[in-house]
Amino acid sequence: YRGEEEIQKECALFPSAAVGETQSSVSAAEDLQTYSEREWKGNTTKSLLIRKGYEAIASEFNLRKVRGDNYCALRAVLFQVLSQSKQLPAWLHDSDISKWPKEMHSDQDFITEWQFPFETSKSKVQHLEQCLELLTNKWQEAVQSKSLEERKRMCQQVFRGHDEEYELLEALKFLMLRTAVQLHSDMEKGSDVPEFCWLLFARDSSKCPKTFLTNHLRHVGFSGGLEQVEMCLLGYSLQETIRVVRLYKCDTEEFITYYPNDHKNASPLCLLTEDDRHYNVLVPKKFPKFDAYGRPKWNPPSDGQSSITTRL
Amino acid sequence: MSFIPGQPVSAVVQRIEIHKLWDGDNLILGFSIGGGIDQDPSQNPFSEDKADKGIYVTRVSKGGPAEVAGLRLGDKIMQVNGWDMTMVTHDQARKKLTKKNEDVVRLLVTRRSLEDAVRQSMMQH
Repeated sequence: YRGEEEIQKECALFPSAAVGETQSSVSAAEDLQTYSEREWKGNTTKSLLIRKGYEAIASEFNLRKVRGDNYCALRAVLFQVLSQSKQLPAWLHDSDISKWPKEMHSDQDFITEWQFPFETSKSKVQHLEQCLELLTNKWQEAVQSKSLEERKRMCQQVFRGHDEEYELLEALKFLMLRTAVQLHSDMEKGSDVPEFCWLLFARDSSKCPKTFLTNHLRHVGFSGGLEQVEMCLLGYSLQETIRVVRLYKCDTEEFITYYPNDHKNASPLCLLTEDDRHYNVLVPKKFPKFDAYGRPKWNPPSDGQSSITTRL
Repeated sequence: MSFIPGQPVSAVVQRIEIHKLWDGDNLILGFSIGGGIDQDPSQNPFSEDKADKGIYVTRVSKGGPAEVAGLRLGDKIMQVNGWDMTMVTHDQARKKLTKKNEDVVRLLVTRRSLEDAVRQSMMQH
């Protein structure tokens, strides 16, 4: 078990602003076991199940709480992308994505439907262009960070609840729409599409990209969050795999669910949910410590850990 | 399995169905596992990320049920019969694989790139 001092030292590696901390959209890291015991006291069946779920992963992760509005799933994924992405993904690297809104607008009349959570003097297309450009720049800035500290500072700057953060979240929504359009078109042509597409467009309320936008996507962040099939779309759009620990599904096969579940990406983005409504971020527990020269190094394995192999 | 152009092929996903074999009183699978969240991940020769505490195939018996089913040395076991294996202790993994009332187990495994896997299997023969 890690002593409280150790945990505090490790939490210090995640800078939490002393002033205006309440504005931060993603809280500093905290111990899962402690959190679980504080939030889920009592012995109802549900409490026991949720605490069991927390305990199962407490040795591997710390928790960072995400601002609990209807953007939380997008926010949690964005946070993990900016804090962990090792390189710019091919789709971002190979294209100027800020051209995409105009392309879509000339093709179909979707963007007039778009809702923004902030005032804008620009046209909706122009504003989405700005959002996508910002996403490109921030992602680039993140992967080009020269140190862990620099990266963490950059992330903290983004997740302050200002317009910039919401522009990035809207950019993610646009990417989901564009991908939905492509996948729907592939489906109509009879090409191979990922399994989740069938579910996405099987819903009466979203038989095609237009109704998907009108009835679902444009409300994300406002009156609704992301359904599970939309989590698949989000992961797929970013070419990432989102791994979610779903605590209310502890003791079932769905305790850990991958969106999408084709496991294409060997380094999934790890999130946590108690109820498939609110999402928090999971950060790996073993932080690099610093050697005498101030260089980060990995923790050596702690005592008592063995490495056994079992014949079956 | 479709390759995304431009993306590095870091994992090949395989579905493996192993039919266990009776060996006297025991049902055997013909492979060994290493790993688990209670184990030391730095000792794992097969993982790309040395902090990966997943369950890995550390040995495959020649001609045994696992080899016949297509399981390979170094495969990472993601799921057993739909149950996640990426966040379990060594013993929990063992239990999921050796249920006495199940004579078939369906595994979802990831394998390092086709290139790596071929190179690895060539070293075994």
